[in-house]
Amino acid sequence: MSKAHETATPSGSKKLPRWGMVIDLNRCIGCHTCEITCKIQNDVPLGIWRSWVKVIEKGKYPNVVRAFRPTLCNHCENPVCVKVCPVHASYKREDGIVMVDPHLCVGCRYCMSACPYEVRYIHPQKGILDKCDFCHFRVDQGLQPACVEACPTSARIFGDLNDPDAEVTQLVEKKPVQALKVDMGTDPHVYYIGLDQATMEIKREVELVWDK
Amino acid sequence: MGQIVYDVHYQTTLGFLISYYFYLTGLSAGSFMISTLSYGFGFEKFKAASKMGVVTAVILLLLAPQFLLMQVAWPVKSLWHNFVYLNPLSAISYGAFLLVLYPLNSIIYGIFMFKDNKKWTKFFGLIGIPLALAVHGYTGWILALGVARDYWNTGLMPIVFLFSAMVSGISMMILMIMIRDRFFTAEKKINREIIDGLAKLLGWLLVVDLFLVFCDYSILLYSRLEGQEVAHFMLYGKMAFGFVVLENLIGKIIPLIIVMVPRLRNSYFLLVLAAIMNMVGILAMRIVTVYGGQALPLM
Repeated sequence: MSKAHETATPSGSKKLPRWGMVIDLNRCIGCHTCEITCKIQNDVPLGIWRSWVKVIEKGKYPNVVRAFRPTLCNHCENPVCVKVCPVHASYKREDGIVMVDPHLCVGCRYCMSACPYEVRYIHPQKGILDKCDFCHFRVDQGLQPACVEACPTSARIFGDLNDPDAEVTQLVEKKPVQALKVDMGTDPHVYYIGLDQATMEIKREVELVWDK
Repeated sequence: MGQIVYDVHYQTTLGFLISYYFYLTGLSAGSFMISTLSYGFGFEKFKAASKMGVVTAVILLLLAPQFLLMQVAWPVKSLWHNFVYLNPLSAISYGAFLLVLYPLNSIIYGIFMFKDNKKWTKFFGLIGIPLALAVHGYTGWILALGVARDYWNTGLMPIVFLFSAMVSGISMMILMIMIRDRFFTAEKKINREIIDGLAKLLGWLLVVDLFLVFCDYSILLYSRLEGQEVAHFMLYGKMAFGFVVLENLIGKIIPLIIVMVPRLRNSYFLLVLAAIMNMVGILAMRIVTVYGGQALPLM
């Protein structure tokens, strides 16, 4: 896990990093620590989240199990939000982090409706778009994103996917990994190990929020 | 398979303001089309509707972007960022230009029409037609390029928007011409010929509109899971009243029967009723499309 630190300041090669994340759900205990840490680190206002853990309960009593899906911006290689932004406020950094320029954003919310992962929100006070940016200020300093640092079971692994020795690259290459909604052609760079189908389902048998 | 214990639901992205914006641009595009029928295409019987059509089109299109600016969190910033930091891949970028060019062209066209300059009226009218098509087609295009939502992401969306625009524009013109002829003319007599012509046109456009909705839904119901979900949500879910009753029954099918049966069409009362119902139905269509299309969470 210290690999992220090493690749942030590459010594030998000049190759730019490509930041990515692997979330090992065999380790995830659904404690929501990443969610809280993210809110504290990024000063995310009440009622909105940059990253959250979706919790699903499946099975029939007494054989019941909970499945988790930590959710965050997928930092796609081919992000829809960047394509649809009318003012170039959404952009992808060279190291793959998808960000929003608060000075350019006019708050039209088009990217919110185009993002297949629903991870963008309008900041209630600033009126501009906000989203997970892999804690870019921490990454630039050679640190890990806050959620990765805080995870008590090390379920979140962050690093440079261009570095063949990094733990993320090893996991993506050697383990069976999944990504969300690859059919959208976005090429997401957040990978999951052991992701439960139930957490990705669109079909809802539960009562929806607006049905109440 | 599973019960959701905890999940985060997001803010509504495009709200009622956007629906009203789409509605007003639709009415504007529709009335502009009517105004070009006589000067641009030589249908002389619609001449009495031309001046009214262009004035309405300009007023509505000056009004419509105000809703857009209310929706945008930084309205003043958006006025110039849209031009300076233009992203040619985004549908909204083109909208910014169209929303400037189309009212300008309509004003010039209107000035020549009021000066009775047939040649230049025709010229600017014919330039205005693609602009009017574009200014409303692009609103459907914006939704269609919101690729995450299966309900929006269909090639039919711009065409559906165009036809609903023309339908609602014609209904509005029927109402306005009747009010003008009945109350604001010397002879207080409604021009039967033009109302009849517009009503027939409304009927045929409603047939196309209903056919497009049928195509859209029949394909959606067989498409990916998400498309099926949203189609069920529209047909039997919370949106059923808006979609089935308001939009299609009250907004399209009943007006279609009224304008297509000559005996019913001859009644001014029923015709007014049909026009009002159609305008309400198209407003419902805008709200259903914008709000209902994004109501279901994606994952």
